Amino acid sequence: MPMSENTNKPLQITSFSRPILHLDCDAFFTSVEQALHPELRGKPVVTGKERGIVACASYEAKALGVKRPMALWEARKKLPDLICLPSDYETYSLYSRRMFSIMREFTPDVEEYSIDEAFADLSGLRRFYRTGYAQIAWKIKEAVQAQLGLTVSVGLSGTKTLAKIASKEKKPDGFTVIRGSQLHEFLPQTPLEKVCGFGPNTVAFLHKRGVTNCWDYVSRPEGWARKALGKIGAELWHELRGDCVYPLVTAEKTDYASIGKTKTFTPPSSDRDFVRAQLMRNMESAFIKLRRYRLRAKWLCIFLRNQEFKSCGAEAEFDRATSSVYEAGPLVSSLFDRVYRGGTSYRLTGIVLSKIEPDRSAQYLLFDDVPKVESFRAIDRVIDEVNELYGKHKLHLGTSLWLARHKQHVSERGDLPQRKTDLLKGETFRQRLGIPVWHVKV
Amino acid sequence: MPKAIQLQPILESLQDFYRTHQRLPAYSELQTLAGYRSKGAAAYLVKRLIEKRIVTQDESGRLIPGSALKGTRVLGSVKAGFPSPAEEELLDTLTLDEFLIRKPNATYIVKVSGDSMIEEGIKEGDLVLVERGRQAQPGDIVIAQVDGQWTMKYLEKRGGRMILRAANRKYPEIEPKGELVIGGVVIANVRKYK
Repeated sequence: MPMSENTNKPLQITSFSRPILHLDCDAFFTSVEQALHPELRGKPVVTGKERGIVACASYEAKALGVKRPMALWEARKKLPDLICLPSDYETYSLYSRRMFSIMREFTPDVEEYSIDEAFADLSGLRRFYRTGYAQIAWKIKEAVQAQLGLTVSVGLSGTKTLAKIASKEKKPDGFTVIRGSQLHEFLPQTPLEKVCGFGPNTVAFLHKRGVTNCWDYVSRPEGWARKALGKIGAELWHELRGDCVYPLVTAEKTDYASIGKTKTFTPPSSDRDFVRAQLMRNMESAFIKLRRYRLRAKWLCIFLRNQEFKSCGAEAEFDRATSSVYEAGPLVSSLFDRVYRGGTSYRLTGIVLSKIEPDRSAQYLLFDDVPKVESFRAIDRVIDEVNELYGKHKLHLGTSLWLARHKQHVSERGDLPQRKTDLLKGETFRQRLGIPVWHVKV
Repeated sequence: MPKAIQLQPILESLQDFYRTHQRLPAYSELQTLAGYRSKGAAAYLVKRLIEKRIVTQDESGRLIPGSALKGTRVLGSVKAGFPSPAEEELLDTLTLDEFLIRKPNATYIVKVSGDSMIEEGIKEGDLVLVERGRQAQPGDIVIAQVDGQWTMKYLEKRGGRMILRAANRKYPEIEPKGELVIGGVVIANVRKYK
């Protein structure tokens, strides 16, 4: 292995500056279903029935060749015994919150990375628990598994990048520690694809330059990585060598680079008003989220996806950032008219808001109709307050009345999760107890 | 399971300290106060106290009483007029959630469908709260899996062996032949009439 001038010592670290744990649930959605419905254990199960695609496949289903994101009919053809369940996001979210909360019983430094993944910084806990970091990581894994009734895979190492590679090393029910003293043995066996941040294009690019695994990558000088892949390349170079560059983001997420809302409908529709209403509803949802975090957006794009899964879209920028659907609505509608083709069947609409900034002091342009803009703000405030009381989208734009023309998903019965059909006494369709229901017959 | 810090007793001694000295303890004093052997543990405790807004820190790291602590000073002082007795008393009340549930992250609802615990007063349609991952003791009502079937029964000890007994004379005792899987322990029963 050629060692360059600034890396001429063997890469061996006696201890990491930061012990970072990555916890990843195994086949999260289906594992939750199997935990709450014991009769599903050991069987091939998928979720995503309401959308007609495989959103998550259990390990039993994966072993038989069912993968995400496969069309449901395709998966059923492959496996006639496949159990297809509608997604129950409410229950998955309850589980997710519990998972983070159990981890926070050990350390306050927890980053909620996604619905089923989290990082935790274990620094300083050795003295409290009177044991080593690997043992603490093991305790966290056991606590989560015992209380949630599903398995998780845990990786422990010195940086987020290494911890994430570690948790993927063995799945399901894995536990992998990459110590500083093992880095020089571990990295040569680690293909570049395993690094979060190296996409297929980057990997192909690096292969062309003779870099085939992570060891090759970190053996090049830092300057080489920076020149080849820019700032991120240099950051990953450090992370893979065990120097922690990416800190944990433990604060609740309130600033967004962009906010997107998309929704599928089945069967696909060529009803212009209906498809427009779908888009307008997504716009309303995106702006509700924008206002909840007191933000405003200056740029947006819309897109429509047709039956053949081809997408087309259009973007536009406002003169001034806004948080009001009354200002965005006409623009979105005209973008829609530009993109929509009659006679085409669409299956999905979506919107992305970007160039987002805090909605603090109002700024007006020279020719703005200030009282009108102010009245839009007042209307939005009332809409948000009413919907807070009576439910999301109870008060909505007139265009979304066309949504009533077709159902969001027309297919067989059983597309709603059990949580929303088997209500407990006192629960409503809108509000249910925040405790998962365990469906054992006793 | 790790030992979670019991904040309540620490909070009380912290309030005592604050009342007596009109300041908050240093790390070393906090260590004594909480009965810890290391300063590191005290530092961890401080982290938790800051999280709960019981204390805050100034730039030099000294502790400043947070809102939760200051509240007691106002109540204890007569200067601000008579403290509202209601407010003082309500500090120690539990919500129904806290009363029924000990470990919120491990508690699940099971809707009862059979009559095997009828003499215990658990009827069909009742919602029992079940804690997962808790060590079951003889005498507990458990949700258990026996020979592939899930059931709710008393867990009892008979001559060194664990058995399951229904609270219903119709059903015989179950002596698990294979492995007995305890899924959870019943900690409360909820029956809603209206």
